Amino acid sequence: MTIRIGIDVGGTFTDFLVLRDDKDPQIFKVLSTPADPSIGLINGLTEIAASFDLKLGELATSIDTIVHGTTVTTNAVLTHGGARTGLLTTEGVRDVLQMRRGIREEQYNNRYTNVPPLVPRYLRRPIKGRLNYCGETLRALDVEGALEAIRVFKREGIEAVAICFMNSFANPQQEKEAAELVRTELPGAYLTVSSDFLPSIRFYDRVSSTVLNSYVGPKLSSYLDRLRFRLKEIEFGGILLLMQSNGGVMAPGVARDSPARTLLSGPAAGPGAGLGYVRLHGYEDCITVDMGGTSFDAALVRDGKPIVVTDGEINRYRIALPMLDIVTIGAGGGSIGWIDEGGLLRLGPQSAGADPGPVCYGKGGTLPTCTDADLILGYLDADFFAGGKIRLNKDAAAGAIEGHIARPLNMSVEEAAAGMYRVINTNMAQGVRQITVKRGFDPREFPLVAAGGAGPLHSCMICHELEIPMFIVPRESSIFCAAGMLMSDLQHDFVRSFVSVFEHIEWAQLNAVISEMMQEGAELLRQENIPEERRRFVLNLDCRYLKQYHEVSFPVALETVRRADATSISEAFHAEHLKMYGYSLEEEKAPVELINVRLRAVGDTEKPTFAEEACVGADPEDALKGRRAVYVPEERTLQDVAVYDGHRTRCGHNIPGPAIIEQVNTTLFISSSYDCLCDCYGSFVTYRKGQEDRLPVTLQEMKV
Amino acid sequence: MSEVDPILLSVYARSFKSTTDEMSISLQKTTRSPILCEAKDFVTGIYDAEGNILEQTENLPILSFSLGPVCKYIVDYFGDKIYPGDVIFHNDVFSMGNQNNDVAVYKPIFLDDRVVAWSACKGHQADIGGAVAGGYNPNATEVWQEALRIPPVKVCERGELRKDVWDLIFANIRFDIVQHDLRAQMGSCVVGERCILRLLEKYGLECFETHKKALFEATRRMMEAEIGTIPNGEYRGESTIYFDGRNQDRHYQIRVKITVEDRHIKFDYTGTDAQSNAFVNGTYTSSASATILTFLQMVNPDIPHNQGMVEPIEIIIPEGTILNAAFPAATTYGNHLCPPNADAIARALAPVVPDRVTAGWNHLLCSLTTGVDPRKDDKYVDICFMGLKGGSGALNGVDGYDHIGMIDASGGLLDQDYEMFEQQTPHVLVKHEYLCDSAGAGQWRGGLGVETIFEIGSDNTQLVIFGDGDVEPAFGLLGGGKGSLNSISVRYPDGREHTPLPLDLLTGVPKGTVYHQVAGGGGGYGDPHKRRKNEVFEEVRNEVISVEAARDVYGVAVDRQILEIDQAATSLLRNGGG
Repeated sequence: MTIRIGIDVGGTFTDFLVLRDDKDPQIFKVLSTPADPSIGLINGLTEIAASFDLKLGELATSIDTIVHGTTVTTNAVLTHGGARTGLLTTEGVRDVLQMRRGIREEQYNNRYTNVPPLVPRYLRRPIKGRLNYCGETLRALDVEGALEAIRVFKREGIEAVAICFMNSFANPQQEKEAAELVRTELPGAYLTVSSDFLPSIRFYDRVSSTVLNSYVGPKLSSYLDRLRFRLKEIEFGGILLLMQSNGGVMAPGVARDSPARTLLSGPAAGPGAGLGYVRLHGYEDCITVDMGGTSFDAALVRDGKPIVVTDGEINRYRIALPMLDIVTIGAGGGSIGWIDEGGLLRLGPQSAGADPGPVCYGKGGTLPTCTDADLILGYLDADFFAGGKIRLNKDAAAGAIEGHIARPLNMSVEEAAAGMYRVINTNMAQGVRQITVKRGFDPREFPLVAAGGAGPLHSCMICHELEIPMFIVPRESSIFCAAGMLMSDLQHDFVRSFVSVFEHIEWAQLNAVISEMMQEGAELLRQENIPEERRRFVLNLDCRYLKQYHEVSFPVALETVRRADATSISEAFHAEHLKMYGYSLEEEKAPVELINVRLRAVGDTEKPTFAEEACVGADPEDALKGRRAVYVPEERTLQDVAVYDGHRTRCGHNIPGPAIIEQVNTTLFISSSYDCLCDCYGSFVTYRKGQEDRLPVTLQEMKV
Repeated sequence: MSEVDPILLSVYARSFKSTTDEMSISLQKTTRSPILCEAKDFVTGIYDAEGNILEQTENLPILSFSLGPVCKYIVDYFGDKIYPGDVIFHNDVFSMGNQNNDVAVYKPIFLDDRVVAWSACKGHQADIGGAVAGGYNPNATEVWQEALRIPPVKVCERGELRKDVWDLIFANIRFDIVQHDLRAQMGSCVVGERCILRLLEKYGLECFETHKKALFEATRRMMEAEIGTIPNGEYRGESTIYFDGRNQDRHYQIRVKITVEDRHIKFDYTGTDAQSNAFVNGTYTSSASATILTFLQMVNPDIPHNQGMVEPIEIIIPEGTILNAAFPAATTYGNHLCPPNADAIARALAPVVPDRVTAGWNHLLCSLTTGVDPRKDDKYVDICFMGLKGGSGALNGVDGYDHIGMIDASGGLLDQDYEMFEQQTPHVLVKHEYLCDSAGAGQWRGGLGVETIFEIGSDNTQLVIFGDGDVEPAFGLLGGGKGSLNSISVRYPDGREHTPLPLDLLTGVPKGTVYHQVAGGGGGYGDPHKRRKNEVFEEVRNEVISVEAARDVYGVAVDRQILEIDQAATSLLRNGGG
């Protein structure tokens, strides 16, 4: 038996998707343990073992691969809870981190303030020593000054150090010397050296990325240590992989050295997962939304690819590494309702998280949350939350909403809960606007894939607000990212500078550099048990016209470089330049310069397969579970609404809204403006009444 | 007439914005002059067939509100002789241009045989001919000594490059990169054209027109509602220009009368002093841009930037005044009359809407360096953007923003990346840091200024100095303190120090000369004794407020040895003891 498990640790729940040989994928969900997320992870494995009638150790030894997404680093940055970090930098330029090149993003907003720097000024220590623009030493490193700075760090209780000197991209020597001093004098500190971490030109990008890496490094290291210790304890001997911000996965050793590559580890699997589901219906574009306990992530997939940016930011901190373009807002089941100074009802961004959790969990929460409102409105069943594992206390929820929202606003508890439901839906619709309308895309033209434990309760009203005609709730929606992780390939990115004007390229040398990168990539993939036939290499060249300062990156077949086919490569460059920037200088024969060679080594992993079931007809009677009073937003009243068992719905079932479809881990609410059709993969395809024509072509026939 | 769909309306609004943003990215990634690709001293925009603003990306707002008027001028100028594939250049300040160096490129967007919109962008060129490399000739007395004038001219007609016109223009410009940067601007216009055509293909012209009008209308109502929150009345403000570049001790007053009448606001500059006989003169569009961008900071920042936004704003600047000089005056300095213009407006409105008006911003003082890079034997030009940006003024409830500079840019102008600076110029950067005690004190302090030092790496270097803020510091409001002053000085290799005038030309500067610049802080707001003690202490620890200033200005005593607040001494200082 081989087992592969995707594990997504969220702020509230830890999700598991288990794939066993040819059996159906299985979903597990346990409460997260934010103080040490590895505990929740082991709790989940314990539960999985029990359900398979195995001892934990027996399960652990038969797990082939664990793919894991973590929000440890993300949370450290968002909450300013990273390590106490010191920066050693060149004398005279210590403020670049805080200046952020002297911009204010909102030019006309005089109330817009700068973000607090991750390292305060008195911990950014200037060191004498200087390299010139091409890496030659103008002044040797002042060792005594560096030692004095390290003494300050010691006194100030610094846990992590970042080293970034001017022009070190061209010569790492002085940074290496300083790193040695830090390793000797401050041996426990996490250390990032810019010339190792991101050896590319642009001082601000390097300082900011290097500092971020150190700032989150100790958190991730200690987490990985605990995780690996616990996995070793239960005799797990398989491969552990971590989700990276770029949508690929990597080994923990790589993550330890570049923790900043995990800043979007949690949500990065979402867009790929969404694409996996819409592709079954013939789409190459989609919007994915994932609403968990704490946060809401939205992303856009275009032309079959999640959108990747290399000039990204997290919380306005510059990070010059490739990452997916995902918008995150503080909206989840645990989002707390409150009333602002102006008397307006607000939801979040504060969250009750897993501990104490919503009031209705009865774990000590006293502030009313989105989940409490969902319970009052009948969307959740007090006796069937998490399949009955957690019993919800409706009276407690009502009491909290009464005290904190209804009474101050002078309304009934139901009205207050309906208000909370509406406010959070509007917030999330804004998040979807940010990734679509704000970039000039009409959200109505994209299928939306709704996921996360709380997502399907709210997705219908998000779509209603944005007039999105169709959305899909996959069967694995509650553990969407965990599923996406198992769909992700291993990806290792390599980059080498190779500066040469096109006519003068030494082809043999260029091919040697590429071979070297391919060997490195192959070696990593070999260590990850990827056989040769499943390894792929993708080559990109970064080129520019001579005297430009930014490059255009475009794919080139390895064979073309082997053939030294300069003509096809420069044609491809001109074409890409024309496509991106509206002109090319091909006619003028403007000289082209090669700057960087990028190689991505990809290890294709086994993807989960989706078994198709046969259509049984439209009548969902067999899946009807009962009826209960549920709030219908369009009518603004509680109505008697049919409740279906999502585990008994079958392909072809047509469920008219308003309705509730309950699964163990998630509940789908269909409002009175929408109907739902169950597809042959067990997903729920929900569409606006009267707009059957917007159903996927694959389903229109079924509908007729 | 198709109906207005509210969701589609915001799709249009945001599509316009993403179009001009995309044009801006295109320009930044393809240009070669560091003024453009590093500092983003350019704007992009799209306009309707008549030249009304659809949207703009205003990296440098002072350039922005000239593109629309010039578009209208071009529409009139060529009449029906506009063809698909035309590309038009323009920089002429006597036909609505704002500054000679800022060259605009316009491209008509055709659907079938009809112009339906324009894409345009304008960037500050590395050189534009005239007497001084890089522009800013402080000795100019008329426009021909400053620049090559480019009234509307087609460089492409029906898709064909007019080589004769092209060669005529670039025969008069010193640096080759200017040609390539204008090619990049043409590319950026193509990017804008593609986006608009995609929209038109998707929704059709009628729908486009209907929603455009609805958007203008909605935006105008938003702006009118904002104006409606200012009490009706007449408000007056003044400020002083201290030097025109030629006549020492000759001062000029800017005088503005602002009339708010329900949903309409009028800025009337009648009474402003007459134009100078030097190059410190505004053009109508540079001065009107200054007025608009200053006022925009006092209203809801989310108003879309289209024609509807500017409609309720009336601006009267009599010709012949220093803010709207008559032909053939020299005007290159005109963009930089924005800081004193903004001060006059702030002084007029501060008593009326004190929660929306900031204390004074640091003014621009700037240098432009040209020479031959001995490492490459090639010419270079650099505007010291990192050095020129001081602090913004504080607002009730918010400190000023550190190092975002002159109000003309309002935080849209990027510092050169230090390593790129050392690649693009032969200089070595010695220092670029916040300057201690530069911010005007206050319950809300002004933004910090910066100190910049670099060693010049070329012989026979030319430095053009221009700006002010060396006489009058950024003003404080309601008990807030003044910011610090601007200065530029050089120390030659022989040890001689020289402080140039704020408008000056230094030639033959040798390699090894050390350049030293200070950009001052912004003005503070409210009584410094009301600032939270811990905040003052943190800034002492971070060495942006000195122990002395903490004690003497903020009334917070910090023990220098153990770096802690001396609570007893502080309460004595703050409660009248000291």
